[in-house]
Amino acid sequence: MIARKIMLLGEIGVGKSSIAKRLVLDRFEIDYKPTVGVDVYQYVVPDEPGRPGMRLIVWDTDGNFGDAIFRHVYMKQASAAMIVGDVTRTGTIDAMCRLGMEFRDAFPGRHFSYLLNKHDLLQPGDTPRLPDTMTGAGIPLIRTSALTGDNVKDAFRAAADIIQRRAS
Amino acid sequence: MPQPTSSNAALPDSSGLAPGDLVATGMHIAELGIYGMVWLDHQLVSRSRYGPLVAFIEIDKPVTDSVVALIGLEDDIAALARTEAPVRLLELPAVAMINPDGRAPRLNFTIFWLPAIDRFLLLVYKASSRSDIEVELTRQVRARLIAEAEVQAKSRELSAANEELAIANRDLEQYATIISHDLKAPLRALRYLSDDAEQALRAEEPEKAAAAVTEMRALARRMSRMMSALLDYASVGRKAEAVTIVDTRALAESIAASLPRAPGLRIVIDGDWPEIVTLEAPLDLVLRNLVDNALKHHDRDRGIVRLTARDCGAAIEFQVADDGPGIPAAAHGAIFMPFRTLGGPAGGTGMGLALVSRTVEAVGGTISIHSEPERARGTAFTFKWPKSIARG
Ligand SMILES: Nc1nc2c(ncn2[C@@H]2O[C@H](COP(=O)(O)OP(=O)(O)O)[C@@H](O)[C@H]2O)c(=O)[nH]1
Ligand SMILES: [Mg+2]
Repeated sequence: MIARKIMLLGEIGVGKSSIAKRLVLDRFEIDYKPTVGVDVYQYVVPDEPGRPGMRLIVWDTDGNFGDAIFRHVYMKQASAAMIVGDVTRTGTIDAMCRLGMEFRDAFPGRHFSYLLNKHDLLQPGDTPRLPDTMTGAGIPLIRTSALTGDNVKDAFRAAADIIQRRAS
Repeated sequence: MPQPTSSNAALPDSSGLAPGDLVATGMHIAELGIYGMVWLDHQLVSRSRYGPLVAFIEIDKPVTDSVVALIGLEDDIAALARTEAPVRLLELPAVAMINPDGRAPRLNFTIFWLPAIDRFLLLVYKASSRSDIEVELTRQVRARLIAEAEVQAKSRELSAANEELAIANRDLEQYATIISHDLKAPLRALRYLSDDAEQALRAEEPEKAAAAVTEMRALARRMSRMMSALLDYASVGRKAEAVTIVDTRALAESIAASLPRAPGLRIVIDGDWPEIVTLEAPLDLVLRNLVDNALKHHDRDRGIVRLTARDCGAAIEFQVADDGPGIPAAAHGAIFMPFRTLGGPAGGTGMGLALVSRTVEAVGGTISIHSEPERARGTAFTFKWPKSIARG
């Protein structure tokens, strides 16, 4: 089974670690423990017609490892990135878009998607304000909740599909 | 950071220790789990290992099977054997590979190329370079950042809730007034009527008693109508309603077609009626009540009720104008208050215009009345309906 490295990026506190834990361990913790260094998880996306199973090596960084983030050894040979923002904090969504554009420049042709996390905190009918640079451009935008698990597995399955398609 | 040394090189600064003693010391430290070593061949297959820290690394298997953090780095590692750089190493600091049970030690991985033995050495040691205090500090600083953002969000929520509370208080006062003034009168009447009925029964005058009871029933019915109108009024803006695309002209036409009226009264729809994304039911309520009001209070056989709409940027301005008797200026202040019927035909609860103005306010709009019966006939109600709806 092929294995691919996928990065979780985004401002602190947006829920990167929670997403990784929900994905791999299927659990959620309320209290906040910042990630020090990097936590590496494995998640197997089951095979599907048209795509063999794929082992994703998920790199949950502390999200904020300096200006040289895209030259950091952690980023070496990343196949894709999930860039996470917190729907309840617009600052983190702006940061998410910035990271997205920087990732595109540093890793041309590699896949990335935006995850708008903590969707469970929105009132029904609320829509978060999104920067113009985010819409269009064909970058997947996925609403997730690590708390409820909404869309978390789907987001990684979709990433595996795209990684597979770009490779073949 | 330890530097790779060739096994034959002179050992610097060995404080008089023999190489054998140094090796023994090194092995002892490895046995204590302070670091672990794995030797890899050109294909990055683990060939041998030393120390409990690397006990999880399987021998004779690709090292990436056990150290998944090295997946993807195979080419970078292989390249170490080909460069001419004096120090050939790749460092991966502070990595925790999370097991299914959710825990894992945080380790530093360093890979050296050792040309003398034609092997890679994977050196593994605990990532304890960041002191607990430093980690705790980071945790607290970051937790505070998040907490501050949350407090900001909460205080925004709180001030919205306070505002709502103030409105609710104001409402409550208004209801208290309404109930004491407007419901007290029929209640008093009920009491008198029940006295009358009782007396009539004692005097064996059943017709009189029956008449009093009939009147009581009518009063009770009126009070219950007032109560439900009051409840409707109280619930304006409290219901979560769906925003839809509303064709305002179609809405106006359907209202015009559905309201009963004297045959001589015409409804004319004028101006630009756009499609807007809004709450349909409240807009329907406002237009319907205003038109109904104009038709009901018209005092002549022939007349016109004119509906116009005009786009004025952030809002649509609607107007419902009639050529009826008009409303004297002195009454304009009270007209939007609950239960203020201005005479007029019976059957109204006097809540129509109160509901209208409350609904317009609930969506963030404004309403005004224009009527000068001493100078000219007619009344015009003008209201601004914002294109984007304010939400409570
Ligand atoms: N309500 C809610 N809280 C979340 C969600 N994801 C994360 N959190 C909380 O947000 C805080 C930061 O999450 P964490 O995963 O540590 O963020 P990271 O710094 O990006 O790794 C924690 O208190 C989590 O419990 C979510 O989807 N919904
Ligand atoms: Mg984290």
